[in-house]
Formats: sequence, C-alpha cells, structure tokens
Amino acid sequence: MIQFKNIIKSFGPKTVLQDVSFDVPTGSVFFIIGASGVGKSVLIKHLVGLLYPDSGEIWLDDQEISKFDEEQMGPIRKKCAMVFQHSTLFDSMTCAENVALPLRKHKKLSLKAALAEARQRLEIVRMEEFADRYPPELGDGMRKRVAIARALTVDPTYVLFDEPTTSLDPVSARRVDVLIRELSDKLGVTSIVVSHDLTSIFSIADRIVMLYRGKVRLQGSREDFKNTPDGVVQQFITGRATGPFEL
Amino acid sequence: MAARTSTSADSDKGPGALSAFLSGVGSSFLEIAETAGGMTILLARVVARMVPPRIDSRELLKNLYKMGVKSLPIVAVTALFTGAIMVIQAATIVKRYGAEGLLGWGAGFGTLREIAPLLTALMISGRVGANNTAELGTMVVTEQLDALRVLAIDPISFLIAPRFISIVSTLFMMTLFADALALFGAAYTGEALLGVSPTTFYNGLTSGLLGFGDVATGLIKSIVFGLVIGLASCHFGLATTGGAPGVGRAVNSTVMASAAGVFVLDYLTSFALGG
Amino acid sequence: MSNLAAPGPESQRMSHEPIEHPYEDLGAVGALGAAAIDLMVGGRELYSVFVRTLYYVARGKREKGALARQMYEMGNRSVFFLSVTMGFLGMILVYQAGLQAKRVVPDYTLLGATYLELLVRDFAASLGALMLATRVGAGIAAEIGSMVVTEQIDALRMCAADPIDFLIKPRFLASIVMTMVLVIWAGTIAFVAGAFTAYFAFDVPLQTFFNHQLVDFGDMAVGLTKCLAYGAAIPIVSGYCGLSTFGGSEGVGWATTRAVVNTSLTIIILNFFISGAGFLIFPG
Repeated sequence: MIQFKNIIKSFGPKTVLQDVSFDVPTGSVFFIIGASGVGKSVLIKHLVGLLYPDSGEIWLDDQEISKFDEEQMGPIRKKCAMVFQHSTLFDSMTCAENVALPLRKHKKLSLKAALAEARQRLEIVRMEEFADRYPPELGDGMRKRVAIARALTVDPTYVLFDEPTTSLDPVSARRVDVLIRELSDKLGVTSIVVSHDLTSIFSIADRIVMLYRGKVRLQGSREDFKNTPDGVVQQFITGRATGPFEL
Repeated sequence: MAARTSTSADSDKGPGALSAFLSGVGSSFLEIAETAGGMTILLARVVARMVPPRIDSRELLKNLYKMGVKSLPIVAVTALFTGAIMVIQAATIVKRYGAEGLLGWGAGFGTLREIAPLLTALMISGRVGANNTAELGTMVVTEQLDALRVLAIDPISFLIAPRFISIVSTLFMMTLFADALALFGAAYTGEALLGVSPTTFYNGLTSGLLGFGDVATGLIKSIVFGLVIGLASCHFGLATTGGAPGVGRAVNSTVMASAAGVFVLDYLTSFALGG
Repeated sequence: MSNLAAPGPESQRMSHEPIEHPYEDLGAVGALGAAAIDLMVGGRELYSVFVRTLYYVARGKREKGALARQMYEMGNRSVFFLSVTMGFLGMILVYQAGLQAKRVVPDYTLLGATYLELLVRDFAASLGALMLATRVGAGIAAEIGSMVVTEQIDALRMCAADPIDFLIKPRFLASIVMTMVLVIWAGTIAFVAGAFTAYFAFDVPLQTFFNHQLVDFGDMAVGLTKCLAYGAAIPIVSGYCGLSTFGGSEGVGWATTRAVVNTSLTIIILNFFISGAGFLIFPG
C-alpha cells in the first residue's frame, strides 16, 4: 500500500504540488491523470527517490521514505520499479543486455545466465526476436515493451509507468494497456500509471485520481468519474476545448 | 552545477566597465572554486568505491580498450611531429654552438620531462576527455542516468569509476608510448636536417646528463594530468543540464578546465619534484 | 552531408555518405581502408570550405558589425583563459630550461634571450593557438552544430545565403586578426612570467633576462606566419566540424569534440611544416 500525505513540492518560485494526499490500494491498476505539467511525473518520481518533497510524508508498505538517502533507497527501488516516458534504454547495449543488466547486478548471475533469462523475459513481452538489436533501431512501442521487461527483472511489487502510451500509435498503445492489465491480474503487481490517454484510462483503470492546479480534484472509480457533476473533471474526460478547465 | 560559458563584460563604456570587469573576475573565481570543489567530491566518491573494490569490471575493460584504441593514432601522429619540431627548434641553437653531440640531450630533456607529457595530455583531453563528457552528458539529459539509479545500480561504481580509471591508465600508457615515438621522430629529423646520426643522438640521450629520473618525472606528471582530465571530464558530464546545447557547453567546459588544470599542475609538479 | 553543398548545379555539389559501419565491424584492413577514405574525403571537403571562404572574403556580402562582433567574442572569451595558461607555461618553460642550464653550463646570461627567441619563433604562436583551438574552436563548432540540428542552416540556405559566407567568413577574418593579437598578448604574459621565475628561482636579474639580441627577422617572420596559418586554420576546421554535425541532438557534443581534436592536430602539423621551412630558409 502506498500513501501520499500532504505533499508539497516547489521548483524555485513555482509550487507544483500544493498539499496532495491520496492512497493507492495494493494490487490495483491506479491512474494519476491531469493536464500536462500539473505535476504527475513529479509525484511518482518521489516514490523512487529521484525527487524529495519539501514537506509531507510518503508511506510505502509501512516505511516512510520521504527522507531516505541513496543507500536506503536501494531496497525500495527493488520493490518499486519505473518505466520512463521515453523508455530510456541504454543505447550502448542490445535489448537483451539491457534486460540482463539488473539480473547480473542484483541476482549475481553470470553474463551467460543473465542473457538467457533476459531472452525469456523478452519472450513474455513478445520482443524476443529483437533481443540482439540496439534501442535506436527500434520503434517507440517496441522500446516501451523492452523497458517494461527490464523493469520487471527486479520482481517488483509496484511498477510506475510515466505516460506509457503518450508517443505510441493506437495499436501499440492498446497492447501496452493489455500488458499493464495482465501484470495486475496475473502477477498481482500494483501498477501506478501517469497518463492523459482517455482510452487507457477508461479501459483498464481500477481507481483514478485527478490532479488539478497542484491539488487532488477527484478520486474514485471509472464510474465515479463518468458520473461526477464537477465541470472541470467532465471537460477533461470528455476532451472539450472550452469550459471551466484552466491549465 | 551547470556548466556554463564565460561571462562577457556587460559594457565597455565608462566606469561601469571596471565594476563589470571586477565582478566578472570575482564570479570566475567563485565558479572555479565551485568546480574544484565538485571535482574533489567526485574523487572522494570514486576512491570510496576502490577500497574495497566495487567497480564493474566489464565496463572497465570496455573503456580501457575503447579509449586506448581511440587515442593511439592521434598520440602517434602528435608524438612523431612533436619530436621533429623539438629538434627543429633545438637545431638553431645547436648549430650556433656547433654542439651536435648535445642534440640528443637538448631535444631529449625537453621532450621527456615536459613536452611529451604535456602535449599527450592535451590531445587525450580532447580525444578521450571531451568524448567521455559528451557520452555522460547525453546519458544525463536522456535520463539514462536516472534509469540506472531507479534500477538500484550505483552510477559511480558502474559508469564513472571505470571511465575515470581508464582515463588515468590510458594517459599513462600513451605518455610512455609518446616518449618513445617522439624521440624516434626527433632522431630521424635530426639526421635529415642536421646530419646528426641516430647513434649520436642516442648517445647524447644516455650520456649521463639525462637520467631515468627525467623519464620518471614525465610519467608522474602524466598520472597527475590523468587525474585532472578524468575528474574534469566526469564532473562536467554528470553536471550537464539543458538538453543538446547543454552537452556542447559541458564539452567546452571540460576541455578548458582540463587544459587549465594541466598547466597549473604541470608547474606545481615540476616544482614539487625539484624540477 | 548536404550542409556543405554549395547552392548550384549538381555538378558543383559535394556529397559524402559517412561510412555506415562502425569501424569495429570491418576487420583491421577494412578499418584502415575506411579511415583512409574518410580522411581523404574529409580533406577534400576541408579544402573546399577553405577555398570557398577565401572566395567569399573577396566577393561575399558585407554584413554590418558581424566582424566586430566575432572579434569581440573571440577576444573576450579567451583572454582570461589564455593569460592563465600561458602564464603558467612561461613559468614552466623557464624553470625547466634553468634547471637544465644549471646542469650543463651554469651561466644564465643568455637564458632570457634564448627563451625570447623560442617564444617568438614557435611557442607563443603554437601553444597559444592550441589553447585558442580548445576555447574558440569548441565554441564555433558548438554554435554552428546547434544551428545544424535545429535546422537553422537549412533555413539560411532557403534565404539564398550560403552558410559559409554568413557564418564562417566573419569568423575566419576575425580569427586571423584576433589570433595575432592574442598570441602577442600570450607571448608577453609568458615572457613576463618567465622573467619573474628566472628572478625568483635562479636570481637572474630582470635586466639580463630582458634581452632581445637573439631575435632576428627570420624568427619574427616564422612566428608571424604561424599566427596567420593557425588563425586561418582554427575557424575553417572547427567550422567544418560544426557544419558536418550529424546524429541529431547528441551530435553537438561529438562535433565539439571533433573540432578540438582536429584543430589541435592541424596546428601541430602546420607547426611542423612551417618550422621546417623556417629552419631551411632562416637557419640563423
């Protein structure tokens, strides 16, 4: 279970998160939605120690992690994996080597054993035929799947997805949605997805929280969102240009 | 810490110019202090991972090979030409005093103690140091460094320490190589230009005025230079901000800081080693 | 590398496909061959850039203030850096020379004179230019490289302005002038630093050190030729590296690296040829 309590985060004069609080129930597919730049990515980066809050608490499985240093963050990062928006594979290694790297480092496997396991994991995301290619040679959707395979090598209980479908064509985007749903249903992983892709939101989300101007605007299920009288939320989820919504 | 280009004076009219100049000098000093501090901290972090050794050996070997191979042709060309140039400069003086026998000594001492380590360091700082900064800087701005941290892999052990050690080792070995090649180039230029046979040249070298100490001085310098270049390269690479132009700025800063650092330390080392 | 193509009929344009395979794939002989081809094509394109720059110096558009701006940029950027490095260099050279002189002939009377001669003939120009190559060369390559990857160069060519006329020509002229000025400044700093080192380390009185009797016309001619040659080389080589940036945004970093290395190498090679010629023409 993950809990955000009264998170405040500023960058210079601009306060991005102004008192954000919500809970993420275990085993669900949890979406954080909102306009570009509202602070969604900033928020999830706090979970893996890439950013630290100005004030507030972050609880991950009974540990308060908002003040952990790099060393203390190590075990947390093995529980909580992250798939970056631009996939962020290592360009100097093949796909198989990318996936094999955490296996070598954390499970102390030899290079051969790690590569073998890496290929198996690539098979799960249906990328095994590209195992020996380099990331720049692949398309966005393919890189995303390799990145997901790599994130799963630490056997995490939580996986964070930063705008996983934003730069993908519609077919690839739906495939990623299916993968995220399978993770939760088959492996019991809690997925936290930052997104503004309406199709993803309304096809796979169990619970949704919407950030608006630095605060939580609404939390609930898909039904709660569809039926809310809140004009700002309605404008966002129906994708209209005019209305009370301000960026 | 962002890498940045130097400030330019804000105006060159009237009394504003003096205060602008002074503030420019002041901020330059602050910046130099900041950079030096950052580099020292980096050094401490790298050394902390050497005892006990926690460095990725595959990355180390990969970088040693890559840097060595990349530098060989450049160092070879530089060393040969440098040796030749040293002889050409010494030739005027040698001819004036008719001291052909001393050509080996004359070209030799300058080369081994100073010019070979210095020029090799400058060329390596360009070929290897700048390249390394570009690679690290690109990894920083494309979030690959964050990706490493999130995978709970220590970037210093995995990425920085192997490159740092490789730079120092490469510079040491290349200086050794450059010493030999420069003397070789010098000997044959001596023959072509002054009719001094290579044997005479060699005798002049080993006649007792030059000793092993001179070679050693040059090699110690190369290690010191390697430390400066390695630290500057890794520091500015890690501190890159601002996308693609940021990488260009970081490379710029590395090359400048390396050059300045090499000259300053050259002097201090010469002084410390008693010449 | 279409950035280098001159506006004009197909026959006048150059094209150069960068060799696709990384060298490691080709095996030793193949790699050597590929490197040689790269070098030759690069050399030919470099020569072309040089010739076209000269053409535009004579016949190109005059842009108000561009030259002055470039000269200010170059001078301003480099003065502090050059002063520091050349100051330390002067101290090192004189210190080393003094130590060796002490071993052989403990007579320092001609130390200053010989040092000045060497400075004028070679070191001020060559080492000063190497420092400028890092500062100015990297700056030019980074600037032009960024323009390439943000497609500003293409935009220039749409306006029927040749990038060589617009970008390289002013830097070329500025560099020739400023290199000379900066080298003279650098040489002065190096000499003064050397003088103080000689005084404090070896008790050589400043009077004795400031001795210009060994500097003759030949030395000055060689030194000046070097200034001109290096001043011309730096913007041409680094401008070429900037214009031939490839690889998207990361390419700017590589272009800067290549500029520094290639400019330094060019200076060393030019040094060899000019010194050699100088020795044969002015052996005194």
